[in-house]
Parts: sequence; structure tokens; C-alpha cells
Amino acid sequence: MSAVNGGNVKKGMFILYNGVPHSVQWHEFVSPGKGSAFTRSRLRNLKTGTVFDYTFKTTEKVEVADVESVEMQYLYFDGTSYVFMNPRTYEQVEVDAALVGDVSRFMKEEMIGYIQFFNGQPIGVFMPKKMTLQVTYTEDAVAGDRANAPKKPATLETGAEIQVPLFVKTGDMVIVDTEDGVYVSRAN
Amino acid sequence: MTSTWQKLRLDPVARERMHQRDLLVRAIRQYFWSEDFLEVETPQLVPLPSMEPNLEVFETTLRNDQEQTARAFLTSSPEFAIKKILAAGYPRVFEVCKSYRNKEGLSTRHNPEFTILEWYRTSADYTAIMADCEHLLRAMARATNKDTLAYQGKEYDIFAPWERLTVAEAFARYSQIDTETLLSDTGLRSAARAKGYAIEKHTTWEELFHQIMLNEIEPHLGASRPTILMDYPASLASLSRKKPADPRFAERFEFYIAGLELGNAFSELVDADEQLARLQADRQEKEQLGRTLYDIDTELIAALRAGIPPTGGIAVGVDRLCMLFLDVPHIADTLFFPAIELWPML
Repeated sequence: MSAVNGGNVKKGMFILYNGVPHSVQWHEFVSPGKGSAFTRSRLRNLKTGTVFDYTFKTTEKVEVADVESVEMQYLYFDGTSYVFMNPRTYEQVEVDAALVGDVSRFMKEEMIGYIQFFNGQPIGVFMPKKMTLQVTYTEDAVAGDRANAPKKPATLETGAEIQVPLFVKTGDMVIVDTEDGVYVSRAN
Repeated sequence: MTSTWQKLRLDPVARERMHQRDLLVRAIRQYFWSEDFLEVETPQLVPLPSMEPNLEVFETTLRNDQEQTARAFLTSSPEFAIKKILAAGYPRVFEVCKSYRNKEGLSTRHNPEFTILEWYRTSADYTAIMADCEHLLRAMARATNKDTLAYQGKEYDIFAPWERLTVAEAFARYSQIDTETLLSDTGLRSAARAKGYAIEKHTTWEELFHQIMLNEIEPHLGASRPTILMDYPASLASLSRKKPADPRFAERFEFYIAGLELGNAFSELVDADEQLARLQADRQEKEQLGRTLYDIDTELIAALRAGIPPTGGIAVGVDRLCMLFLDVPHIADTLFFPAIELWPML
């Protein structure tokens, strides 16, 4: 089991807090009224999903959760869980929809992502930050609309709706930022 | 990354925010002028900065035309300079200036260069400064046509009397830690251990005090109206005088709105000998913490020895106050050139 100082607790890490794995969703330095330094953080309990704020002393030992990151292929959604497969071992794993979160709007079958496991249990899903998807429907821009509405809605092949610039047409391939859920550019 | 000036070019709402900031800073000056304060400008480049153990300074080298050099520092506060001005005989002094603190994270609430407001009233104590805080924020609200302060979806009534809460009351109310336990090193250690905080050999009383404060108390402060958190344990007195009636505590307060710490005030320590002793202790602590070291400013001690009447004083973070009035979540939203933009690699 490895450990870091509280001062090195950072967004994206997995730590053990009271022996339970938590993901660090946000962190920030704080030094209260001429006192010593602390790290504010927002933690997510990976067993219960509870999110709460906790402030660490920068000098305290914080145990890092031994999290394994495995490349997995997305197969299908069975109505409650997302089913992924390890392309090397063909082992399948069901991941709760809540754990997958918003990125599911952009997932299509056979896509490759990473699933993080703690003690054999999936605790996090990381899909590529940028994905290329086809626009299945968007209205043609009307000339003269440009000043008032620089963006318009577009439906992607995964069903997600995003805002795109007026020049994007039905059938175009576009690059999407899956974390922020926004259009990045047209794919060539 | 898009620079702020580029964003402002395209965003009239954000552009208007900077006008609001200007109005707020004008309202600050107007308040102190109307209270018959002297506005001063003190150097930001000094040979001997102040000595707070946990603050790291910016150091540079001053060179003259003869290639002689001297150490030079950016100030973390204009406090020492203003106290010398008080010793010169000015009864009410204020300054709005830049201050610099190194080795703090660049975050939603920290910019290494920030605007500080300090004011000092002689023949007064920290209660006069509390009243000033209330009047000043109301003046700022009037200047920007606000009858209540809306911040990130919640409302804060700054026109109602502010809550006054002692540190001991706050620990009792929000952490179930009584005064005896709070002030005892072993007491606080065992209380913190029972609460599940990590206690190691090197863990100090001060770390536990602040960790409990940040986790259990601060979220409650300034929740619907501003809170004045007052009377800190004497070991956290910094440059404040001890309470004559109960020297276990010092006449120091901080005020909070929406969990944001906005200012730190003292009934100023004006006793030259005690000040010298505290600066020596602070310097030793700086050395232990591996901070940049420099000598004690003996001119400050000389000024106190010459005599300053009992004085109340405060340092307020102007950018944080602006965050609150402009209803923005990030200190960078109050600045034209935030450090996170100037140094995106940090």
C-alpha cells in the first residue's frame, strides 16, 4: 500500500479514507488566516456514491487506493448496466449506469475505454476525452440567423444532442469533448 | 487558452463586471475618506518584509549603478509600514494596494498577487473595526445598487446585524469541543483522534485546530448573514493583543460570508517588547519550516517603542470581496490578468 502527503492529494486520484476507496473529484490549496497549509478536496465514496468535502493537513499520510486500470471494449446497454469486455481475456463486466455517468451519451458499441477496478470491483469508467461521432440530424442553417444564433442543436449517432456551429450538416463527422459534452471541431 | 481580454471582447456581461469592480473599489475609498482617513501609499518592494511563519515571500535583488546589491522583497501586507505611519502621529490610515504571497496554490480563492485593503484606527480596538466592516460592506452594496447579497444561488443579508461568534463558542457549537479541550494540546489531540483525524508524531495543535475549523466550522460561517469569528486562542494571536479579561484568548477576528474568509483583524499589539519576542519566535518557526529567512524589522520595534495608541486594524482581500459582490465562483473572474492565465503550466 502506498501513501502520499495530504499536500499531494489531487483531482483524479483514488485514496483510502477511513479504509474505504474514494475518488478525488476536486482539490484546492488553502492556508487559513496565517495558519499552516491544507488541501481542500471533494471526495466521492466509491461504495456508496456519497460526495462530500474534506480538508487534509498537507503533512498527513494519505493512503493511495490500489486501483487497476484495464482497457475494455463497450459492448451494449442491457437496460440497467453497461456491459464491457476485456478484448484480451474476453472477460465481461457489468458497470452500473450511475458509475458510467454522463459520458454514456457519447458511447457507441465497440468503443475502447478504461475501467478502473478496486478489489475486483469496477469503480470508475474513463472513455476517451475526444470522440469522433456522426451527426444524424441537424437543421440546415438559415442565412441571416448568424448574429442571433451562432450555434444550433445537432443529434449524434449515439442519441446525444449537442450545440454545433451553423456550418455543420447532417452526415458530418464531428469531434466531441466527452467530459464537457461540447463540440470541438469537424473531423476531416 | 483564451485570455481574459479576448473573452471580455465577446462577452458584454463579463465586461460590465469589471465596471462593477471599479465601483466597488471606489466605494471602499469613499467610505474611508468620509470617515476622515488618510490614504497612504507604502512601498511594495522592501528590505525587510513581515514575518508570518506560514507565508512565503517573493525575493529579488536590488542593484544600484555601482553594481552594489541588496536583498529586496515584495510585501505580503503593508502592515509594518502603516504602523510606522501611525507612530508618526496619524490617527486613521488606510491603503488599497497589491500584496504578494508565494508558494500558495493558484486556486479559485488564491492569486499570488492580490489586492489588499488595510485600515487602522487609533484610540480604538477590534470592535471599532467590526463596525467598520459592517458599514463598509453596506456602502459597497449601496454603490452597486444591492439591498441584499446574492452569491452563487444563495442570499446573504449584510444589512442585518452581523453574527458575532467567539472561536470557543464555534468549537462548542459545531464540533462539540469545550474550551478546556480546545486549549489543551493533549485534549485537542484526543478529541481529534476520536473524530477520525490523522494524528502523527509531527502533527501540531495548530494543524488540528485549523483542520477541525476547515472541516467542521467554516462551512457554517456566514451562512445567511456575515459572521464575525472572534477571540482566537492566544497562540494564534499573530499581531493582536491578548484579551485583558482572559489572556488565554487574543483580540483577533476574521469575518466570513458564504464560507469565504474575507478579512483578518486585530486589536493591534502595540507593546514593543512583546512584539519583538513574537517576531523572534516567528523567525525561528520560519527557519524550522524552511522558509526564506531575513532579519527582524527593528524600525517597527522602534516605532512601537516611540509609541502608538491602542489601535484596531484589519487586512481585507479585495478580490475576494469582489467575487462576492460580482457573484462569481473564481477569483480569476475579478481580474483582467489572473495568474492561472499568465502561468497556465502551474
